Amino acid sequence: MATLDMRDERAEAGAVASVVTQAFDVVVIGGGPAGMAAALSAHKAGAHVAIVEREQHLGGILRQCIHPGFGLSHFKQELTGPEYAQRFIDQVRATNIALFLDSMVIGVDSGESAEDAAVHTVTLMSPTGMLQLIGRAVVLAMGCRERTRSEIKIPGSRPAGVFTAGLAQRYINIENLKPGSRAVILGSGDIGLIMARRCTLEGISVEGVYELMPYANGLRRNVKNCLEDFGIPLHLSTTVTRVIGHDRVEAVEVSQVDEHLAPIPGTERIVPCDTLLLSVGLFPENELSVAAGVELDPRTRGAVVDQSLQTGVPGIFACGNVLHVHDLADNVTTESERAGAAAAAWALGAVGTAAGVAGAGCQLTVSPAGIAGYALPGRITAVGLTKLNFRVRRPVDAARVRILAGNEELFAGKVRPFKPSVMESFPLPAKVIQRALDLGVNEIVLSVDPVEEA
Amino acid sequence: MAETFDIAIVGAGITGCAIARRLARFDLSICVVEAANDIALGASKANGGLVHAGYDPAPGTVKAQVNARGCELYGAWAQELGFLFCRTGSMVLGFNDEDRAHLEKLRQNGLANGVPELAIIGPERIHELEPRASAQATCALWCPSTGFVDPFEVAIAALENAVANGVTFMRSAPVEAIEVADSGDDARFTLATPAGDVRCRYLINAAGNGAAHLSHMAGAEKFQMVWRQGNIVVLDKEPRTLMPLYPVPTPVSKGVIVTGTVHGNTVITATAAVREPGDTQTYASDVNALLTGARKLVPDLDTRRVVRAFAGGRPVIQGTNDFFIGQSAVLPGLFQAAGIQSPGVASAPAIAERMEHVMREAGVALRERADWDPIRRAPDDFDRAPLARKEELIESDPAWGQIVCRCETVPEAEIVAAIRRRPGAVSVEGVKRRCRAGMGRCQSGFCQSRVVAILARELGCDPSEVLLEDAGSWLVEGPLKGVR
Repeated sequence: MATLDMRDERAEAGAVASVVTQAFDVVVIGGGPAGMAAALSAHKAGAHVAIVEREQHLGGILRQCIHPGFGLSHFKQELTGPEYAQRFIDQVRATNIALFLDSMVIGVDSGESAEDAAVHTVTLMSPTGMLQLIGRAVVLAMGCRERTRSEIKIPGSRPAGVFTAGLAQRYINIENLKPGSRAVILGSGDIGLIMARRCTLEGISVEGVYELMPYANGLRRNVKNCLEDFGIPLHLSTTVTRVIGHDRVEAVEVSQVDEHLAPIPGTERIVPCDTLLLSVGLFPENELSVAAGVELDPRTRGAVVDQSLQTGVPGIFACGNVLHVHDLADNVTTESERAGAAAAAWALGAVGTAAGVAGAGCQLTVSPAGIAGYALPGRITAVGLTKLNFRVRRPVDAARVRILAGNEELFAGKVRPFKPSVMESFPLPAKVIQRALDLGVNEIVLSVDPVEEA
Repeated sequence: MAETFDIAIVGAGITGCAIARRLARFDLSICVVEAANDIALGASKANGGLVHAGYDPAPGTVKAQVNARGCELYGAWAQELGFLFCRTGSMVLGFNDEDRAHLEKLRQNGLANGVPELAIIGPERIHELEPRASAQATCALWCPSTGFVDPFEVAIAALENAVANGVTFMRSAPVEAIEVADSGDDARFTLATPAGDVRCRYLINAAGNGAAHLSHMAGAEKFQMVWRQGNIVVLDKEPRTLMPLYPVPTPVSKGVIVTGTVHGNTVITATAAVREPGDTQTYASDVNALLTGARKLVPDLDTRRVVRAFAGGRPVIQGTNDFFIGQSAVLPGLFQAAGIQSPGVASAPAIAERMEHVMREAGVALRERADWDPIRRAPDDFDRAPLARKEELIESDPAWGQIVCRCETVPEAEIVAAIRRRPGAVSVEGVKRRCRAGMGRCQSGFCQSRVVAILARELGCDPSEVLLEDAGSWLVEGPLKGVR
């Protein structure tokens, strides 16, 4: 160690002497719902598949989501998180998909193989040592992480008792440990709502759920089932402005916020509690992707992908919460099945057949406008029926989706309400894409525009 | 019966640890008495980690002497103690003619203080040295000797080496009373602490923000401390570590500085406001001032990626901006190392050197031991280890391949080592400061429950007894349901 200048030091990582390698068609990073669905669909398409999972078990975050509400669309049946995961675990176990558990990926490197096709080297670390998996295609399915107290800059002291909702969920549902007796929850995202109910059921009194925005951020059904049914108050346009307590949380100060989300002086109120749970947003966990050279969309903080969910690095695909944060695991499954199939097609050399005919020179970017917070995929490289996903930034009672190219409106949807809690899905017909190409544009705009009510 | 030592050092901050390590080479029995349950829990953990070069303090002050000398000693210190130290150099950025005049004054100050190789440079050289420095900067004071460290790593390393050389470390031992016997007594001082009494012939006051209280308790100099509080923000890692960039200083502080860290993060440090003693709260106004100040120096800095905001108090002696290092004029046998505010980290090795000199002058017999070992071997840092070393470690123990903290790539074996070292970690934050588990962008959201389980296992206690930091900072109440 000793005297080091870090500035030129990072080049050293590449040199590997004699590491054991194994080759696959598709290497899936992450064994949660996204990774398992991608692996299974790649396997069905005939690919030789590996899953790398950092935990000892498959299932990812679903293992601690013991509440029901999973599987309604995929299995037409209401399941808990572990039950939903188990169905996929059983399917994976019934195949010859190679499992690398307890294995942490420390790098993804892309290079040219002998046949001129790109191959990717996934380096992983496990208690049995280091290993390199060579994949013709890689599927990124690492999921997301929770936004922290620091990122939302809650002032005050830094005692024990401030937990992200997911950490508290792990303590309660996995470790059987009680994180406190009297909780305040900041954020009405789905995890916050579900944890309000969980805490109540486990004998932890929930003083209230506080939400910065003037509306609940979670799904309507969760507001009803988790708060209203248990008489837990939801305080909108209110946030935590100070944490109080030197060693353990003793109270939090909450304040109402104005229309610019700034705390209103004079509205401060002290709420005694020993625990503050934060459910203030999720971020795709893309440090590995960035290191692999994948370009991110600053809006989603996930990869920029095309209609087949391929990133800017040929042969690397992304799906699930590492791509954009979903509200339903069922949607993660559907999206990841597409990514797995596309990765298999790429690896097995059948590119172009899966998602329409690769139009010569089809190279459109898709940009969000109006109240659309993002649009996915960000690139369209083939003419075919294309699934577009987006989320609005604020709730509206009446708005419509429009697809624009230059000055022309190519498509206008029905007028209907939109909510930020719901990830929207919208099929873009091939003819719309063709029309954009005919116009000679290189960008189409997905605009969600509120409609004045008569 | 209380144990008797030749020397008791009160305070295991960077100053106390540096002094303990300096004196550990002599044939003396030494005890470091710390109020908290771990090393560096006061001002030493709440600073920007900068090893300032020493052009700032007024010439002739104690600060001026120990700062430049401390900065000079850091290279050798890092070698011996095995901590990370980056000597990148720094720039004080000026934006107009008035600033340029101020930079010239700083340069003159620096020359008087013996700071090497200072130069006033123009925009082209600024851009060459740090491409991300503001293009609005018209001039800068370039100072090649500035560097940065992880301040708690330095304190921990120093005390580990001291303990390896026979120094005793007493934690959770706040000094509640001091009894002073006649001079000449073998145990002139008796310190009463909840962890037991400590008797000693010489007493060193390195109590940081508690230094005034300790001095009063002993019946020595009566001075007052001012809690000059500072907020600090840590941002996520950058592909390329930033060079420390300073604004032109204000009369009370160096202003909002942006610097890289030894682990590739960016730190914005620090605000300065006199607040209630003990106030370690962060304030929205301070954090905003930091982010705004930082963007002035580095316009493209992504200030949304805040990993951590924290605050601490600079131990300032009221009425002076200087350090107080020397034997008490009132109470012989008591040695003061008080008022060690900024640049305390940079000065630490020189303060220790000066303390040795002061004690020698006062007639304390200092005979070097033949068996003293100046080298502290740093624990294995898995994330930074070359791949071959990683493989070796996993082969030696599979727990090296069991990654617990995914943000900083910290395996279970590294956490266990942090707990088993002497003095080892006894809390979740203690683990974090030693091996970075929980230090990253998710702020322990994924790994905290695992670290709690490892601590409970290693310390032989229940998870409900595992602390985040010091007494009272419990994390979980206990089991939820009867069946475990």
